[in-house]
Amino acid sequence: MAVPDVGTGLALVGAGIAIGVAGLGAGIAQGQIGAAAVGATAEDPKMFVRSMIFTVLPETIVILGFVVAFFLYGLA
Amino acid sequence: MLKPEEMTRAVVVGSMDSLDATIECLYEQGILHLIDFTTPDVDFKIGQPLSKASADSQKLLKLRSMMRVLGIEEHKPKEKMTVSAIDKRLEQALVTLDLNTTTKNEAKQKIQSLIREKEAEIRALYPFASFGIAIEDYDSYDNVTCLTGICRRDPSDALTSKIREIEIFTEVRKSDVSVAVFVKNELKPEALKILSDREFQEVKLPKLTGDPKKIISANQEQISDLKMDLRRIETDLEKVRKQFADFIISSEEHLSIEVMKEETPLRIAATENTFVMDGWVPRSRFHEIQKTLNQRCGVHVFVEAIATEKDDEPPTRLMNSKLIRPFELFINMGSTPKYKEIDPTVMLFITFPLFFGLMIGDLGFGMALFLAGLAVRLKMKGSQVMKNFGTIVMAGGLMASIFGLFVFAEAFGVPFHPPPLSADEYSWESVAYIPIHPMIEKMENVNELLAISMLAGWAHLTVGLVFGFFNTIHHSLKHAIGKFGWLLMLLGLFEETMVIAGNATITSEFINSTLFFAFPTDFAMDFAGIELSIPALVFIIVGVVVLLATEGGFALTELTGIFTNLISYARLAAIAVGKGGMALAFNTMLFPMMFNGWDTAGEIVISILGAVLLVVAQLFFVFFLGALSAGIQAIRLNYVEFFLKFFEGGGTEFSPLTYERKYSVITTE
Repeated sequence: MAVPDVGTGLALVGAGIAIGVAGLGAGIAQGQIGAAAVGATAEDPKMFVRSMIFTVLPETIVILGFVVAFFLYGLA
Repeated sequence: MLKPEEMTRAVVVGSMDSLDATIECLYEQGILHLIDFTTPDVDFKIGQPLSKASADSQKLLKLRSMMRVLGIEEHKPKEKMTVSAIDKRLEQALVTLDLNTTTKNEAKQKIQSLIREKEAEIRALYPFASFGIAIEDYDSYDNVTCLTGICRRDPSDALTSKIREIEIFTEVRKSDVSVAVFVKNELKPEALKILSDREFQEVKLPKLTGDPKKIISANQEQISDLKMDLRRIETDLEKVRKQFADFIISSEEHLSIEVMKEETPLRIAATENTFVMDGWVPRSRFHEIQKTLNQRCGVHVFVEAIATEKDDEPPTRLMNSKLIRPFELFINMGSTPKYKEIDPTVMLFITFPLFFGLMIGDLGFGMALFLAGLAVRLKMKGSQVMKNFGTIVMAGGLMASIFGLFVFAEAFGVPFHPPPLSADEYSWESVAYIPIHPMIEKMENVNELLAISMLAGWAHLTVGLVFGFFNTIHHSLKHAIGKFGWLLMLLGLFEETMVIAGNATITSEFINSTLFFAFPTDFAMDFAGIELSIPALVFIIVGVVVLLATEGGFALTELTGIFTNLISYARLAAIAVGKGGMALAFNTMLFPMMFNGWDTAGEIVISILGAVLLVVAQLFFVFFLGALSAGIQAIRLNYVEFFLKFFEGGGTEFSPLTYERKYSVITTE
C-alpha cells in the first residue's frame, strides 16, 4: 500500500473529525430529547410519532457532518 | 385506497317510546358514528339513561368485584353462553355468589391479617427468646430503662468497661448480635451512644406477657391452624371458581354491553317526548340504516341525510384492501388522518418493506424474519395489533430475502461467492456453488448503495410533496403551489448529487442519461472544488423564487431542511453496509476458531465454543439489533421525512355504535 502524503492524511483526519464530532453533538442533544420523548410516549402512546419527530431533529447535524466528511473524503 | 371512506351526516329523530328499539337496532348495525350532544338548551336536554341502566350497572359492579375476589379477570371461557341463559340465571347466581364469595373473602382477609400479626410478634420476640426474661419484666421499672435491639458487633465489653451498674444479655447470631441492656435512667444516653457506635437498631417488644419462647410456640401453633382454615376457604373459593368462572365472565360481557346501550341516551339530545341522534354513516350504507329502522320502528323513527357544512369534520375510516390493511398499524400509532387528507397507508405498504429489505439485504436473516413474523401472526390470534405487526415483519423479511438473494447474494452475513477484492473471505462456495452473483458488492461498492439511497429518497420525498399538494389544495391554492417550489428544489438537489456522482455509479449514470438527459453533466461549474451543475442551480433558484412568492421569506429557513431530508436517506446505505460489516467482522473472527480442527479434545472444545459464539453474536448483534435498527429507520424515514411533507393528522377515528361479543351469544328463539 502506497504511503499517502500528509495533505491526504490531514483531509482524512478532517473527515473523521467532521462526522465524529457532529455525531457526538447530535448524540448529546438526542439523548436529552429522547428521554423526554420516552416519558411523553409512556403517558400517551399517541405521542409516539410526534416524539419521534422531535427526537430525530438533531440528526440534521450528523447529516451535515456526513456531507462535509464526504466531500473531504473526495478531496483526499 | 388513498382516500378514507365517504361519510354522510345522518340525523335520527323519533318518539321516546321507540328509543330502546332504535338504540338496539343501531348497535346491531354498527355503522352510525354518534356525535355527542353536549350543548343542552331550553328545548333540548341531554337524554336520560334507559330504565334498566341503574340496576344493570349495580349488577355489573358486583360481578366485577367478584372477578377480582376470585382472581378470574384473565379467565377465558371456552364456550359462548347464550344471552337468554345468562338472563335466566343471573339474579339467583348473584345471590349464591354473594353468599359464597363475599363472606368467604371477608373471612379470608381477616385470617390473613391475623397471620401477619402473629408472624410480626414472632419476628419481634425471636431475638430475645433465649434470654429467659418474661416480656413484662423488660419495662416495669421506675428507675431502670431497658434497651432491646440488634447490634452489628457485641457491645458487652465496651458497655461493662464504661458503665459500672449495668446488666447485659446478648446472643450472637449469624450476622449480628441481639442485645437487652438494663441500665439506670440517667445512664441511658451514655449506653445508647456506645450501642449506636455498633449500629444499634431498637426493636420494640409487643405488649404481651409471659415467656417469649412459649408465646412464640403458641403463635406458631395458631398460625398453622389459621393456615389450615385459609386452605379450607381457598378450596371453597376454588369450587366456586370452577363452577361460576365461565358464567361470571360471560355475564360480565353481556351486562357491559347492556349498560353501554342503556347509557347511550346520555350522548343524545332529547325533549320530553322525542329524541334526536346526530352522527355520521358511511355513504354507501346510508340506505341500510334507513331501511332497517323503517322495518323495526315504523313511522315512529325518521332518518334523514343532511347536507354537510364547510367546517364539519367527519370521522375517518381508512379504506384499504386486505393486503395493505396491516400497514394501517403505522398510521394508528400516530394520529388519524383528517377526513379530507390522503391516506398514506399504500405508500407505507410499498416503502417500508423496500427500505427494510434494502437495509437487511440477506437471504438467511430475511427468511428468519419472515418465519418470525409468521409465528407472531399465528400465535397472537387474539390481538389484531400483533397480527398486523407479524404481517409487516413477514413483508419486510420477504423483501430482505429477495434483496439478499438477487442483489447482494448473501445469507447469514456470508456471501455466496468471495468478493473480488478479498478472494480469501469465507463464502458459501465452501458448502455449495450457488449460481447467483451479486449485483452490488455490499462491502465494496458503497457509492452505488449511496446513489440508490439518494434515488429512493428523491422518489419518496417527491411523492410526499405531491400528496402535500393535494392535501393543501382544498384550503389554499397558494400553499399548494408552494409545494411546487419544494419539488423543484428537491429535483435540483437530486440532480446535483447525481452530477457529483457522475459516472462513478451505475445508478447515477442511468439517471443522468434518462431523467436528466436534457441537461448534460458537463454543463457545470467548479465551486470550491465541488462540481456545481448549472441546471440544478436553476431548478433550486426557481424553486426558491416560487417559495418566496407563496410561502414567504420564512420558508427559506427550511432550505437546509429539504437538503438534509434528501441526504438523510443515506442511512439506507449506511445500515446495509454497517450490518454487513458487523456480520463480516464476527465471521472473520469466529470462523477460524470454528474450523481449527476436530482432532484433539481441546480442538473440539474450541470449535464448539467458536460455533456457539458465532451463533450468539450473529443472533443478537446482527439479527436482532439489525432488524430493530432497520425497522426503526425504515419507519422513521416515513414518519419524519415523508409524513412531514403532507400529513396533518388530528382526525377523529370512525367509531360507530357497536359491540363485540366474545363469550356471550344472542340466539333467536
